[in-house]
Amino acid sequence: MRFSFTDDHRAFAAGLREMLAVHCTPAHVRAVWESDAGHDPALWARLSEMGVLSMMVSETFGGMGGSAVDAILLFEELGRACVPGPVIETAAVAAPLLTNADQIIACRLDGSPYVAHAHVADRVLTVDGWLTGGTATDVHGIDGGRRLFTVDGGSVEPIDGFDGPAAFDRGALATAAYLVGLSEAMIAIAADYARQREQFGKPIGSFQAVKHLLADALIKVEFAKAPTYRAAWSLATGSPDASRDVSMAKAFANEAAYRTSRATMQVHGGIGYTWEADLQLFMKKAWALMRAWGDTTFHRRRVSASVLARADERMND
Amino acid sequence: MDLRYTAEQDAFRAEARAWLKANVPSIPLPSFDTAEGFARHREWERKLYDARWSAVSWPVEYGGRGADYIHWLIFEEEYYRAGAPGRVSQNGVFLLGPTIIEVGTPEQKSRFLPSMASAEIVWAQAWSEPNAGSDMAAIGSKAVRDGDDWVVTGQKIWASRAVWSDWCFGIFRTEAGSERHRGLTFILIPLDSPGITVRPIAQLDGDTGFAEIFFDEVRVPVANTLGEIGKGWGVAMATAGFERGVSLRSPARFTEAAKRLIELWRTHADHADTALADAVTDVWMQAEGYRLHTYQTVTGMIEGRTIGAEASLNKIFWSEMDVRIHELALQMLGPEAERMEGPFERWVDGFLFSLAGPIYAGTNEIQRNIIADRVLALPKGL
Repeated sequence: MRFSFTDDHRAFAAGLREMLAVHCTPAHVRAVWESDAGHDPALWARLSEMGVLSMMVSETFGGMGGSAVDAILLFEELGRACVPGPVIETAAVAAPLLTNADQIIACRLDGSPYVAHAHVADRVLTVDGWLTGGTATDVHGIDGGRRLFTVDGGSVEPIDGFDGPAAFDRGALATAAYLVGLSEAMIAIAADYARQREQFGKPIGSFQAVKHLLADALIKVEFAKAPTYRAAWSLATGSPDASRDVSMAKAFANEAAYRTSRATMQVHGGIGYTWEADLQLFMKKAWALMRAWGDTTFHRRRVSASVLARADERMND
Repeated sequence: MDLRYTAEQDAFRAEARAWLKANVPSIPLPSFDTAEGFARHREWERKLYDARWSAVSWPVEYGGRGADYIHWLIFEEEYYRAGAPGRVSQNGVFLLGPTIIEVGTPEQKSRFLPSMASAEIVWAQAWSEPNAGSDMAAIGSKAVRDGDDWVVTGQKIWASRAVWSDWCFGIFRTEAGSERHRGLTFILIPLDSPGITVRPIAQLDGDTGFAEIFFDEVRVPVANTLGEIGKGWGVAMATAGFERGVSLRSPARFTEAAKRLIELWRTHADHADTALADAVTDVWMQAEGYRLHTYQTVTGMIEGRTIGAEASLNKIFWSEMDVRIHELALQMLGPEAERMEGPFERWVDGFLFSLAGPIYAGTNEIQRNIIADRVLALPKGL
């Protein structure tokens, strides 16, 4: 029993964090929002070069053949920087299926009729296989770093032995980790603001009402982490409880991200309701991703089906 | 990361399980917040000690097994699974003991630790004062040096089970005119010393587990000082951090409570009430999340990381979860939730006790301040 990451895991995540601190600042994210791209090709190239996108691609096809445990901290860092574009879809969901690590992938696997990032994707992974050649129509998602589309037409190429539920779980897990990092970033932004903004002659961060808002958010985020890491372990080792564990992680991460968005916006006061505040880029990502790859109700029910059903089984023993 | 138990850990679990199965009293002991219950729990502690289960993470020479915290967690899981008695010596074994191991002299270790592990000496804590609760640095009880003795005068309060305990530990102002965290010293005091009066306080549940302790020129050898003179705040904080962080409420307590809640849901709930099923699932997830978080924390400690203000996150999490578990149980029990005695009294008692959780060991509001100041680096307030 050793519930921790290796020095290599930590070093890779730290390197990614350093790179993103320079190349994916809120200004970069905002630029993507304001462009038509909905994606930053230069950043994508850096992520590809670092091996982030190919971490879970098979070594046979030029990837690193990493497991969910190897990748999980990377998704947390992608979230911390609010990285735009289909990183989860490409690097977590599709990666183990890819024979070419340079492709950009979108997904239609989580029950939503919409396909995020369809305009930049080479292919769309669906429950029936690879979809290409469809017509994407923008339906105006809330997050400018995650453009949302309907995709009509096109042709589908089935994938031999494709495990759709496992692909969904990879998406939910990576999203949970992304939301954890994203939430930590929102707390850091709000704490920074609370240290600087003064009212009544003092920084507002010295007031208990403000401290407690952020402390409560931090508790939610902190307690979403271990379930997320455990879910990565369960997926990586093929545990029979993997889906339940992924659902627990996503349910925790959804709630942590939502509570954090509320608390950090409140700390910002009127500024929190402006387009200009960087916080909005992060909040809208949270509000998009807490619905994507299964919302809290979906995931709680999946845990419930497992946990409460077991109680019924015990009754029959 | 490897979340599997080793063969050795499995064997340790099996040993604990077998011993507990053979030794846990089949009829629950009376509450340790009563005189009779206290005595019965002390006997139980002795039994644990004789089999070297009373302080598994302590060094072997002091009555422990020299086991790491993973083993301690495994033992706790088996302990709660077996429904074993509450730990009447918890203030000693889980709070003072680790502090003595960390800062005590070799003489203090051999003098205090074995008798603590065997419950020959049961310890009470003496932190709070009537005017030093959340604001603990406002401590006014003083200890004045007179040769090789301290002369202690003042009043402590909320000292659990001090009426029946043998010794107490706390911090006292030893520098005249000192303020706040400075000039305090951590002192160990026998409760049968001349000049000590212990007065019971009835708790919310009617038992008299609480007490206040009055010190009237009590003479205590200076050798009973733990850590440096004048540095008692730091010593106390080390204890408090460990308490909030890991040892006070091990995850097994809540994972077992969540299991019992699911059993109650199975037998006493309307299964068409999906909101209730969701709420029960939420607390199961919280208990499981707390377990996972603790394994992560403990692995970090084994690998050399220290636990600091993050401990406050734990304390808020488990105390709020405990209230929630019991609220849901009472919701399911309906009219039975009004009865203090009966088949479900454990849930009703547990509800009352759960309400103390957000208050003791530093109120949750104080914990939020600590998180904001030390983890989030927000400016000091007040």
